[in-house]
Amino acid sequence: MNVLKVSRWTIAAFVLPCLIIYIGIVFVPILVSMYSGMLDWNGIGESTFVGLANFKKLLFHDSVFWPSVRRTLMFAVFSMAEIPIALLVAILLKRYVRKPNFLVSSYFLPVILSVVVVGQLWKTIYNPASMGGMLNQILDAVGLHSWGRAWLTDPSVAMYSLYFVALWQYLGYHTLIQFTGISNVPDDVYEAARIDGAEGFKADWHITFPLIVPIFKISIVLAFIGSLQAFDMIMVMTGGGPAHATDVISTHMYNMSFTSMKYGYGSSIAAFLVVLCLAATFCINFIFNKLEKRYS
Amino acid sequence: MNTSTAVALNKQVAATRRKRFSVTKAIVFLVLGILFVTQVYPLLWLLLYSLKSNEEILSGSFFALPQSPQWGNYSSALEGNYFRYLLNSIFVTSVTMITVIILSSLCAYAISRFRWRFGGAVMVVFLIGMMIPMQATLLPLMIIFKNMHILNTHLSIILPYVAFSMPIAIFILSGFMKTIPHEIEESAVVDGAGIGRIFSSIILPISVPPVMTVCILTFINIWNEYILAATFISSEKLKTLPFGVNSFVSQYSVNYGAIGAFLVLGALPVIIIYFLLADKITQGMVAGAVKG
Repeated sequence: MNVLKVSRWTIAAFVLPCLIIYIGIVFVPILVSMYSGMLDWNGIGESTFVGLANFKKLLFHDSVFWPSVRRTLMFAVFSMAEIPIALLVAILLKRYVRKPNFLVSSYFLPVILSVVVVGQLWKTIYNPASMGGMLNQILDAVGLHSWGRAWLTDPSVAMYSLYFVALWQYLGYHTLIQFTGISNVPDDVYEAARIDGAEGFKADWHITFPLIVPIFKISIVLAFIGSLQAFDMIMVMTGGGPAHATDVISTHMYNMSFTSMKYGYGSSIAAFLVVLCLAATFCINFIFNKLEKRYS
Repeated sequence: MNTSTAVALNKQVAATRRKRFSVTKAIVFLVLGILFVTQVYPLLWLLLYSLKSNEEILSGSFFALPQSPQWGNYSSALEGNYFRYLLNSIFVTSVTMITVIILSSLCAYAISRFRWRFGGAVMVVFLIGMMIPMQATLLPLMIIFKNMHILNTHLSIILPYVAFSMPIAIFILSGFMKTIPHEIEESAVVDGAGIGRIFSSIILPISVPPVMTVCILTFINIWNEYILAATFISSEKLKTLPFGVNSFVSQYSVNYGAIGAFLVLGALPVIIIYFLLADKITQGMVAGAVKG
């Protein structure tokens, strides 16, 4: 298939600049952190090699770690639960709205905003009513004063407030992806289905759904990997507090390494995160390969 | 005549159909409308908030327009280093974009067109890297950069930005380059063009559409990036916009209006670009999502 025969030097000139930067910035640090995960080191002074002690401590003696893993996974579950909703919205847009582009681009607007703007905006919305927070003011206005609370500092709801912001920001992304997928299904397929007596949601179940399985996969990978990496938003909004109530794996890593100066321990968490991401991607790909085989 | 009756008929059919579905349709539009409000109103609220005085914000009239727009909020926001942050962001983002385009189009060309043994292997390296979370490299990179004495320079954020933008860029570009007909290069070779010449005057010009997609993706990701900048940069004069916005907001936590104004200013550049290029951006982001 590839036809151009070129000298070794030409290949090197084309590929190496890219590859060197990439390996140097992505793979070398990962290997370094696998190694420094086995050190007892504060990042500056002397380090001692402690073998797998950090990992042992992480898995068995860290009271923050497993709850943070659970929250990370919950994050993924919530993000994936959003995808069917996005699909429904996309179907409605496609079927009932004559010029859907305006709505699609409006839903998409939050996606392009920096996580700092989104995080700080919602922090302001979640503020107590006495500090101008919109949510609590609305609740007061409709007579639900008792529902109002300090959304980000009350440990029992803080994490849910954060999930909500992520769902809010990315709903438009998933809607757009599903919408594009549906629009690519040719019209005559539906035409043929109508002749066979399948219309409306029945047609969706038997046609739209199987045809956009690949698109579903994209959304799920995006949601899953995105939530494993959910990090900056939490750093901006709560920093993992109050009292670790909103810590996820990556904020735990950050706080351990940069706040508590346990560099070696932080590295072992980073290593765990990398392994988790790779494993998750392989699992999702495996499941979807099976699904696609069944449907095609 | 014929067509006009057909049109009239169609209209009639459409009219009856519309009537039949009017209840469903009303519900659908209600749902879509509510969604529109939840997605857009917070941003609008921020705009109103940024024009209000502290008293108005605290009084609880979240729906009301500001009594008299407090432009003062914006001038106190601009007294912060807004333009400095903006320039830094423009600099960092454009250097990253140019470097990514040049390096990854070279690499994508080699992967998709050269006859050599390791093309596939190189691609796999990039694909695996796509799944590695950026945060996991945060600590080791910090130590490495500290030893290279480039911590707290723009280089220390541009390098990782370039590296983490490459896989998707190579993926999109090589996907496109595979579809270019081989005859084009063959005739160029017959005409005596060298490989560099073929690349710069034939391949790059035809690849403008995917290059635009890469530009959009890189722009959105890098322009909005916060955590790397906040970790590697510490001097005030080097901060990028998201980092600058965050430190301004954390500092002025009682001047609500000015915080709102700074957030609006922080969102403004990307919103303006979105208004100008909405279709291009949404298409580009979908293309970028396909990487999974």
